[in-house]
Amino acid sequence: MTAPQAKVAFRRLLEAIVLTLMTALAVVVVVGVGFRKAGASLVWYDEIASILLAWLTYYGAALAALHRAHIGMPTFVARLEGVPRVAVILAAEACTLTFFVVLAWAGVRVLSVLGGTSLTSLPWMPMSVAQSVIPIGAVLFIIAQLVSLPDVLRGTTHEPDDDDDGGPPPAGAAVREVAA
Amino acid sequence: MSLLAIGLVLLALVVIGVPIAISLGLVAVVAMVTGPGGTGSLPNVGLVMFSGATSFPLIAIPLFILAGAIMNATGISRRLIALASALVGFIRGGLSMVTISASLFFAEISGSAVADVAALGSILIPAMKKRGYSRAFAAAVTSSSATLAVIIPPSIPMIIYGVMSGSSIVELFVAGIVPGVMGGLLMMVVAYVLARRHNFPTEQAFQLSRVWETARDAAWALLLPVIILGGIFTGWVTATEGAGLAVVAAILIGGLVYKELDAKQLRKAMLEGGSQTAVVMLLVAASALLGDYLTEVRVPQGVASGIMGLTQDRWAILLLLNGFFLVIGLFLHSAAAIILVVPIVMPLVQAAGIDPVHFGLIVTLNLGIGQQTPPVASVLVTACSVAKADIWEVSKVNVWFVAVLVTMLVIVTYIPIVPMALVEMFYR
Repeated sequence: MTAPQAKVAFRRLLEAIVLTLMTALAVVVVVGVGFRKAGASLVWYDEIASILLAWLTYYGAALAALHRAHIGMPTFVARLEGVPRVAVILAAEACTLTFFVVLAWAGVRVLSVLGGTSLTSLPWMPMSVAQSVIPIGAVLFIIAQLVSLPDVLRGTTHEPDDDDDGGPPPAGAAVREVAA
Repeated sequence: MSLLAIGLVLLALVVIGVPIAISLGLVAVVAMVTGPGGTGSLPNVGLVMFSGATSFPLIAIPLFILAGAIMNATGISRRLIALASALVGFIRGGLSMVTISASLFFAEISGSAVADVAALGSILIPAMKKRGYSRAFAAAVTSSSATLAVIIPPSIPMIIYGVMSGSSIVELFVAGIVPGVMGGLLMMVVAYVLARRHNFPTEQAFQLSRVWETARDAAWALLLPVIILGGIFTGWVTATEGAGLAVVAAILIGGLVYKELDAKQLRKAMLEGGSQTAVVMLLVAASALLGDYLTEVRVPQGVASGIMGLTQDRWAILLLLNGFFLVIGLFLHSAAAIILVVPIVMPLVQAAGIDPVHFGLIVTLNLGIGQQTPPVASVLVTACSVAKADIWEVSKVNVWFVAVLVTMLVIVTYIPIVPMALVEMFYR
């Protein structure tokens, strides 16, 4: 597998996860409302929906990182050129990667501490399954960041690499859309 | 780590291009490591970053984004524009009236101003250009009227504010109705005056039969706000559940009634919604990490007692907060501003006896103005991009519409009955 192919495969993996989580979240909320209105509330509904949101946060964050779509202030860097620009970009990358390395490490530590605990509403499901999103999401974020770094250094926005026109908008577009 | 050091490190990280969410998280990590707990407190990072992303009310964000995106992919915006055109197109500057009134309709089914400007602007800006409107005017009227989407319910910034401040999201939604409609009507007055000055054309003459035809075609689209807001306002469902129902209604109406929703469009809408949600939620989770530290060192209480030491007059405090949020709105996106600032100023708001719901409207309007004022100006930038217009040229025209938003801010701030009348009438 060539590097561009691996990049496309990675993007498709993240997209598949995000699509699954969005669907699951909508289904859980709608089913939860249906059962509550029918007088048979599901005890696991709130907890599972909240966990799905956390999973969507971290898998979606990796996808957004691949498209460089996290909210920031690119004005200063955009005005730089040449070596200073590359130096500032690499410094920012180092800070971002440091945070996610710490997060991945902390996530693994938490998993070992949680050991035998389980969800309140679904006792058969270990809490570590829910929490696993932190180390896994952090590693995926690091990969996404590294994969998209060459595009940032070249000053090109990240476009989908194949004929797939179903991907999210290119770099920065989601940034401008969020909560605006 | 002192508050000043936290502020400086945060600023430095953001300026060099580290995303704000990650800057918040990194500063919190540094503060924790240099604090009394040392590196022993680091595992908490994993716990807080997980629990910070599990807020049930915030589930409404991906669902509203998804519902809006589905609606946008099903020809609903086209139908709303046709209805608005039949209703107000005969007035001088008809297409600008259509833009504002379609924005008012669209705001009731979309929580995002950029979704609004993208959906309506892509149709109406080229139409306005074709009819002789300047690019700058077309972009300005589309951009400003789109901001009504964050004032009129449902509103994503209001959902975030509700969670960060512990206020009722339903009351916030209700408080936005009167200011949103007033803002829309005032914008129509401004558009009319500008249209007369520049001699912009009218559209087709008013015909009741045309109104009836377009209303019939848009009937299902008009039913959506009834489903979304009716269920929430009557207490039949929570805001989150209402958002879930909106997704189902959008799929049913788009797929079964209008038969315009294809799988490819749905996939794209879901990916956009997922990415956008993750961007906001990562900010929420990272702010929980820094928020824990700031609460521990009692920063919000310090801010409250510091300002209360200067003045205890609530109107003066509101003036200060307005100025602060207007400046913040120039540089930060609304989600980031709410997540960063609201937890810090809430003790002050409570100490000054300001109703948190009233304050929520003030914050939302301030940040709505920020969407129109460079350098960040997320909504204005999108409108300029659709119109292929220069941002400064558009800003020169947009200043009249921004003046409307500022007028609304003054009214909402100093005449609290305007946003609060419906809340007091039905919920208290």
